[in-house]
Amino acid sequence: MTDEVAKTLLCVRNLVVEFDTRFGPVRAVDDISFDIFPNETVGIVGESGCGKTVTGLSLLRLVPSPPGRIVQGSIILNGNDLVQLPENDMAQLRGDDISMIFQEPMTALNPVLSLGTQMTDVLRQHRKMTKREARNVAIDMLEKVGIPVPEKRIDEYPHELSGGMRQRVMIAMALSCNPKLLVADEPTTALDVTTQAQVLEQIVELQEEFHMAVILITHDLGVIAETCQRAIVMYCGNIVETGTVEDLFQRPRHPYTKGLLESIPRLRDERIAELPIIPGMVPDLLSLPAGCRFADRCKYAQADCLQTPPRLESSGDAGSGVACYHPLN
Amino acid sequence: MSQPLLKVVNLKKHFPVRGGMFSRVLAKVKAVDGVSFELGKQRTLGLVGESGCGKSTLGRTVLRLHEPTAGQIFLDGDDICTLDREALKQRRRDMQIIYQDPYASLSPRRLIGQTIQEPLDVHKIGTPEERKKRVEELLDIVGLRKQVLSRYPHEFSGGQRQRIGIARALALNPSFIVADEPVSALDVSVQSQVLNVISRLQREHGIAFLFISHDLAVIQHVSDDVGVMYLGKLVEYSDSGSLYRDPKHPYTRALMSAIPIPDVRQRAKRIVLAGDIPSPMNPPSGCPFHTRCAEAMPKCSQVVPPRVNAGSAEKPHYVSCHLFDGSPESPA
Amino acid sequence: MSAPTNAATSAATLPDEHHESIWGKAIYKLRRDRAGMVGFAIVMTYFIAASGVWLGIWGTHWSDVEGPKWSPMSSEFWFGTNIIGQDIFQRAIYSTKTAFEIGLVVAVLSTLIGAVLGALAGFFSGTWIDAIILWIKGVLDSIPFYLFVAAVAFALQDNPYAMHVAMISTFWTTTGRLVRGEVIKLRNFEFVEAAKAIGVPQITIIFRHILPNTFHILLVQATIVFVAAIKSEVILSFLGLGVQDGVSWGLMISESTLEVLAGYFNNFIWASVLLFGLVMAFNMFSDALQDALDPKKVAAP
Repeated sequence: MTDEVAKTLLCVRNLVVEFDTRFGPVRAVDDISFDIFPNETVGIVGESGCGKTVTGLSLLRLVPSPPGRIVQGSIILNGNDLVQLPENDMAQLRGDDISMIFQEPMTALNPVLSLGTQMTDVLRQHRKMTKREARNVAIDMLEKVGIPVPEKRIDEYPHELSGGMRQRVMIAMALSCNPKLLVADEPTTALDVTTQAQVLEQIVELQEEFHMAVILITHDLGVIAETCQRAIVMYCGNIVETGTVEDLFQRPRHPYTKGLLESIPRLRDERIAELPIIPGMVPDLLSLPAGCRFADRCKYAQADCLQTPPRLESSGDAGSGVACYHPLN
Repeated sequence: MSQPLLKVVNLKKHFPVRGGMFSRVLAKVKAVDGVSFELGKQRTLGLVGESGCGKSTLGRTVLRLHEPTAGQIFLDGDDICTLDREALKQRRRDMQIIYQDPYASLSPRRLIGQTIQEPLDVHKIGTPEERKKRVEELLDIVGLRKQVLSRYPHEFSGGQRQRIGIARALALNPSFIVADEPVSALDVSVQSQVLNVISRLQREHGIAFLFISHDLAVIQHVSDDVGVMYLGKLVEYSDSGSLYRDPKHPYTRALMSAIPIPDVRQRAKRIVLAGDIPSPMNPPSGCPFHTRCAEAMPKCSQVVPPRVNAGSAEKPHYVSCHLFDGSPESPA
Repeated sequence: MSAPTNAATSAATLPDEHHESIWGKAIYKLRRDRAGMVGFAIVMTYFIAASGVWLGIWGTHWSDVEGPKWSPMSSEFWFGTNIIGQDIFQRAIYSTKTAFEIGLVVAVLSTLIGAVLGALAGFFSGTWIDAIILWIKGVLDSIPFYLFVAAVAFALQDNPYAMHVAMISTFWTTTGRLVRGEVIKLRNFEFVEAAKAIGVPQITIIFRHILPNTFHILLVQATIVFVAAIKSEVILSFLGLGVQDGVSWGLMISESTLEVLAGYFNNFIWASVLLFGLVMAFNMFSDALQDALDPKKVAAP
């Protein structure tokens, strides 16, 4: 066990994040545990409300508080428990050891500051540098993310760039201090398909060059298949399945994963009349059932599924697991 | 051959960009720049393309929600561009629209029942009791319970709101519906539910669709024919099977290769396009795609490629690309 | 056939227990705002006082000369008497009715006018309709308020509603501007285009679909105008352009200028205290209302 702990980059245990609503507290993330190893790309996939974005924000302690707060659990990065860290120390880590990029590059970048100003701010915050040195590093980073003529573009403003370019600038900013872990929250969802392809390629290249781990949060299973080695499937605040991308896609063990894979429209050789669907809707977080949260939509549900929620059981390989009393395959 | 339900001829929609002291026209955004196609009765035409290609503008212009700058739109043989306001209002019963954003497309302060019934009230169809009955029928078709009628839009999820939008569009019994990215804003597991509702409308109610989306897989699922748009022009246009089996235009091929495939065994060889999509205010000369095309020739930046039929007379497969200029068939 | 069952079960669960009305969330946030609730309670107390006067239960002797002039506060005259010998308490209580009357009439009518003109200007923004309404707004905003009121009072000589007319004609502009901005934003939402696609006439779209989405603005503006009206009345009464029949705090304060020189403060103090109390309480409530209606603000713990 200590061997594994020494190898892992990030170790999340029993994380619970609650939000206050007028009807009472709601657990957006309810007791999740997972590990991230150095240099790997792990996807966190699920639909709206599953808790994947809140998980990502918790890793950087960016959950808006109020109304949210981390009530329990530990997030260990390099021997430090991020949950217990005072805010000042956390601010040092952000951008330096662990970085995040967001879905909407227009709102994540300050529209009234030039790109150069924003990038050099980040650099000078975490490293001792003069303005000139920081500017050079920034130009370098812009070139690495594929922005043409970076010496000129560094003085431009966000609105002068296209969506794809802005996203790359955000990636450049996030990587400028060489973090060990990059959390990317739906980085390509707002982009066109052809631009998405470019940006994802970029992330993969940079990951190799900078030797960092990437957590890719998305609802798009296609993106996961193309870029990740492992994936974590979330449903309603819980982790329902984890495993390598091969296992997940070819031998899904949780009925939700299977249902999801079957219901996505994909290019087929023959047109079909009706798509297979997962009937019903995601349950209201305020009135959760006693047993497995997916039971009322599950074709394979049995009596024991309705009694108590199943726990995530790991199987053999590190990082594999499923939370189901009657897993498939 | 019977007359198509909808025939669009050389449709253009340009938006003037005004500025300066006297609001002079500085430039024109050529959102739709000379598009022609036909939609047969009970058929579905899928329009695919990325942002800025003009597909949404095209959908709205066909319904005269934007006034066309040039071109003709024939609905059942009548040119609707020449209709006056009263006559247009009558024709609106035949052509309806469903929207992408389930959160902006329903009036927030109106009850669902009022929203779905409004089309019937506006056109004074039937008695009030008959209208209520019709609303309940519509709910049934889209798979919602009666209880939704007395609630407000914000109480429902994206998927449910889309169904409400569909019910509203069906109220007047239109012969065709423009569906503007109806599932793009929905969660994956809900997309298939709503797509199934649309499939049922196609099969059981014989409604024709102009289905707009950026998602090639969704388009394949619902469409009989497909048109690919780029910067306001239709670059390829054929029946669905031919397009997916044998995409001809370089842009279509790049688009198909860019889709992330949820299948680990097929990590596709990507055609990655250089550069970004040019602005529709300043489209490139000649073929609009030549700036990003790996196979561009000198001719491409000078001459706009004509539409050519690279298929056969029975199964036309139109392409606008100089690579196909030598084709024997001429456009219909 | 599997299709209907599929569709029916997909919509099976409707959130029955946590049915949230449009105002529900706002009321929840409002109730937790202590300052706002205190303000509301105070305003209600004033309102009850005003209703009592209106129904004839109390404050009816406001104009009677009941006692000796300048009698001090006593059990007979709670606030004492003024220079003529009228009961200050009666007059002060009667003034709550005057205050509410002016406040409500001006608030309601100016909000209505602001809403209608603002909506028209916003929906037809860029056309002559917008241009005319903006021009009128600009003219009214440029005229110094008290000059305008004096002119209206002169024109409507001896009409007891001169003051109301003057206030309404100028107070609608802020509401109008805010509504116009909101309508310009709402106009681009798809539900407006959807109504157009159905064939709904434009005026109906404005009043049935767009305007109801500005109620949060109208409500807050109405409370602000209420307070502004009451405060303006004070100054107008000083200028002799205020309340003509009846009494108001403004009139009381205006009358008290002579008394104060003679060393008798009761009139001045009580009118000012009651005026300040209502204005302060209403402002607190209005701030809380604005926070409650703001979807981005979170409720107090």
